[in-house]
Amino acid sequence: MLEQSKKDKVTSDLLASIRLTNSFKAWMAFLSISLIVCLGAYVYQLNEGLVVTGLGDYVSWGMYISTFVFFVATSLIGMLISAVLGLSGQKWAAPLARIAEIIALAFAAVAGLVIITDMGRPDRLLNVFIHGRIQSPIVWDITVVTIYVLISTLFLYIPLIPDLKICSEKINKLHPMAQKAYKLLSLNWNGSHEQEQILKKLTRSIAIFIIPVAFAIHTVTSWLFANTLRVGWDSTIFGPYFITGAFVSGTSAIVIAMYFFRKNYKLEEYLSLDLFDKVGKLLVLVSLVYLYFNINEYLVPAYKMKKYDALHITALFTGAHALMFWSVQFFGLVLPIILLVFNKMRKPLPLLIIASFVFIGGWFKRYIIVVPTMEHPFLPIQNVPLNFKVYTPTLTESLVTLAPFILVLLIITVLSKVIPVISIHETIESLEEKNN
Amino acid sequence: MFRINISTKIVSLFIFSALFSINLSAASWDVPADKKSKNSFIKFNDASAKEGEVLYNKNCASCHGNPSKGNVLKSLKPTPPDLASDGTQKLTDGELFYILNTGRGLMPSFKNVLSENERWKVIAYMRSFNKKYVQVLSNTDPSKSELVKVNMQYDAKSNIVTVKVVAKEKTGTVVLKDAEVILFAKRYFGKLQLDKSMRTNNEGLAYFQYSKDLPGDKAGNVELIAKINDEAYGELESTTKFKIAVPTDKPSLTEKRAIWNVLVKAPIWLIITYSFGVLVFLGFLLYLVLNLLSFWKIGKI
Amino acid sequence: MIEKEEQPKKKSRREFLQQLGIVGVGTALGGSAILAGINYDKNKTDAQRIRVLTAENELLEIEKGDATKIIPSKHGNLTYLQQQGRDGIAGKRFVMVIDLSKCQNARKCMAACQHAHDLRPEQHHMNVLKMEETETTPPFYMPKPCQHCDNPPCVAVCPVDATFKRADGIVLIDNERCIGCRFCIAACPYSARIFNWAEPLNAQGDKDKVYNVELNVPQKKGTISKCLFSADQVREGKLPYCASACPNGVYYFGDENEDAVTNGTTKETFRFKKLLEDNGGYTLMPELGTKPRVYYLPPKGKTVPFQDKDREEAAEHLHHT
Repeated sequence: MLEQSKKDKVTSDLLASIRLTNSFKAWMAFLSISLIVCLGAYVYQLNEGLVVTGLGDYVSWGMYISTFVFFVATSLIGMLISAVLGLSGQKWAAPLARIAEIIALAFAAVAGLVIITDMGRPDRLLNVFIHGRIQSPIVWDITVVTIYVLISTLFLYIPLIPDLKICSEKINKLHPMAQKAYKLLSLNWNGSHEQEQILKKLTRSIAIFIIPVAFAIHTVTSWLFANTLRVGWDSTIFGPYFITGAFVSGTSAIVIAMYFFRKNYKLEEYLSLDLFDKVGKLLVLVSLVYLYFNINEYLVPAYKMKKYDALHITALFTGAHALMFWSVQFFGLVLPIILLVFNKMRKPLPLLIIASFVFIGGWFKRYIIVVPTMEHPFLPIQNVPLNFKVYTPTLTESLVTLAPFILVLLIITVLSKVIPVISIHETIESLEEKNN
Repeated sequence: MFRINISTKIVSLFIFSALFSINLSAASWDVPADKKSKNSFIKFNDASAKEGEVLYNKNCASCHGNPSKGNVLKSLKPTPPDLASDGTQKLTDGELFYILNTGRGLMPSFKNVLSENERWKVIAYMRSFNKKYVQVLSNTDPSKSELVKVNMQYDAKSNIVTVKVVAKEKTGTVVLKDAEVILFAKRYFGKLQLDKSMRTNNEGLAYFQYSKDLPGDKAGNVELIAKINDEAYGELESTTKFKIAVPTDKPSLTEKRAIWNVLVKAPIWLIITYSFGVLVFLGFLLYLVLNLLSFWKIGKI
Repeated sequence: MIEKEEQPKKKSRREFLQQLGIVGVGTALGGSAILAGINYDKNKTDAQRIRVLTAENELLEIEKGDATKIIPSKHGNLTYLQQQGRDGIAGKRFVMVIDLSKCQNARKCMAACQHAHDLRPEQHHMNVLKMEETETTPPFYMPKPCQHCDNPPCVAVCPVDATFKRADGIVLIDNERCIGCRFCIAACPYSARIFNWAEPLNAQGDKDKVYNVELNVPQKKGTISKCLFSADQVREGKLPYCASACPNGVYYFGDENEDAVTNGTTKETFRFKKLLEDNGGYTLMPELGTKPRVYYLPPKGKTVPFQDKDREEAAEHLHHT
């Protein structure tokens, strides 16, 4: 049996983050003010119309849609870590499950809001429910994203139940209201074998159920593009191409989260160097798969150079978008793969830096998928002002694009302050298993 | 116009091309003699010219500019003439009328755009720029067109539509000989001409080949329009309904189920797939909630 | 629905206001009700003004002359114009034929269209493009309206049935329903759709107009617009604005079921299939399977040469980098 003192240490270590520190308050204040500034930009956009963006009748989707795709992509990490690795018995990934779920929930929930910023008439959002057509991929997308958010919430919540009980009992100087909330949410958890069995069963069934749902959300997101006739989007591999890309952004996101949780919440013991090493290897794996899909996606049309494909491919390879295209491929994919092969690069700090490149590259990658296609319609762009031909994002648009990132950080920060970012219950359980 | 120091070569070239274009336009308006001598039954005066000016500005000015102002659309080849110019004014009323009717090259026909009255009024406006012009009035009396009666008959065996044109004068029925008859089928936006334009024979009859493949309404009805133009009786139209067209009842374009159709016309496979997916989710949600409920009950004890 | 102010209604409204007063709802509500009552009394003297209830339950006042008299619709909350716009004209299948050999880039079509639909100069339902398909083939002018496809990719992707295809083939937009997602712009391979990024051109002047789906006026900020085949004109048996405005006889418009198209300039009517057959008619990018209802006649025997100054712009698409 595990000694009680050891259990207590785990509990107190992992609960340590749940308290209001000054640095937390300062960070929250910073995020809130930034968010308010960005929301101000959005209010401006609401009043003036989307004319305040750099969008036009040809490039009518820009940074907002890129960000939406990026957010949906990143949210897939919950499914990869908790479901795929969990179900396949990769025990090392267990401590990451909660962080992955927090990221998944935050990104998926905010993705829905990003879409609203892109709408010309957000006041008519309800029309989607009143007049919805199930033939439209947008309706599929709304359906599956809603389902994914709900399932992700439950995927976060159900394994959390024992920890909520611990929170209600073990946190010092807890506000009575908060304590009541923890207790209520812990659904009478008493640690009995019967309850344990239900918990295990539900966690496992969600882990299974979430896999097709997660595949669906990003495949459907890819179909927003692939189901059109447009050059650069009209591709049969867009579903898997997006899914593999999602794993790359998601894995880089979890590295960044791991690094800061580890450092700020003093979790060096639990988010071990070995864990970073493993996640680094995972990043290499998913990046290689994504690179493979990239080669397929660009080489095949580039070999044939069909009339309209040629316009698009040339713009990407040597034209107006070449710098961004090659930077994304090189700094966001190829170079990280090469560097991460070395042991030293999979230590926390180097891995953080590399993952940041991958993460930022991931956003620009979505931009490269969304924008250049819209600049290359089948018929020439004529008789319109120059800003309709070339998309240049505006400051307002950039601020509005920044808002969801801030909101995600807010959600992640708040969640990490109210629940332990690593499961106490499961950590103790695995220690017990090791002991036996 | 000409600059004095311009090189002779260019001058000669210019003159040559100018001559050539005049030649071209003169040669191409090959107006038949009977059309050339046609005269207007509308008196050219200030009132008719004023009405003509409105029509002119709407239909002609974009290319020919304002008469005598020389502001013609020069980018066109050949350049349209200024209609107050001598070249135009020396043409007879009949020639001008013919040109308006037929059009040529870049110039469209105005036969279907302007009525005969309107076409003459445009000419009245053009003539108002010519002080020397003296009008010769036609002896056509347009009010007499009311007396004209048209009878149309279709013979299935020969596939011929016969149009008989007579005038009911007080003195008795007069057969209209040598009157121009054009047969049309009524369409939603205009009149579709069937066969060529004909002239009535001594019995006042004109024969038209009917197009058997002409689509009609659901029942195969089609309205045929005979347009008569007679020297003495003027212009008129007469419509008769026949049940001789191909019955046409094409289904509405939104009838079939399709991805692009409205929700209730969505493809069955899509309705099933979508509903199945949502139901599976709801079922799973119910399963989770029920389990959590029993979880909660267990702990309560 | 247009609700005409009649005597009995006035009375019931006044009673209602009195009851409101008796019940003594909060001062704010009472105040606004009294204000509404005063306004109402002021307006009832003006017989020329009527009240209109829009689909969004907004009560508007308009000049009587501005309103189109309508029969109450049986379809719930859709106004009659919206329903009429969705139904289309029974038994018709509208087609357009554009004769490229006649187009001289006069752009009267574009101007007439922009005027009719209250569009800004950069907004085109109809756009005359300078085309150069390969380096060796001759360039030409190509008027490009919405193709009103029989397999419309834009309609397929609309999440709210705001854009729809009618029984007569015309693809329209209901800008009272459009949510402004612009998926249709992304889906359209012909770049036929535009968006009201800012307040529309004549927003002030059109404010009181009843929205007509078949004209898409008033235009609305944050919604889509596009060529409508001038559905409002077509309903009255008139040719589309562009076709009527063309001085060069480029446009033919008609009903495929009648096998007839009428030239917008000369008003001459031709057999539709024969016109295509005799002149080698084709549709744009048939390989996409969109089945356009707009047909083109090739630029054969053009009477006016392509302007040199337009050549550069035409070639831009060919050598794009």
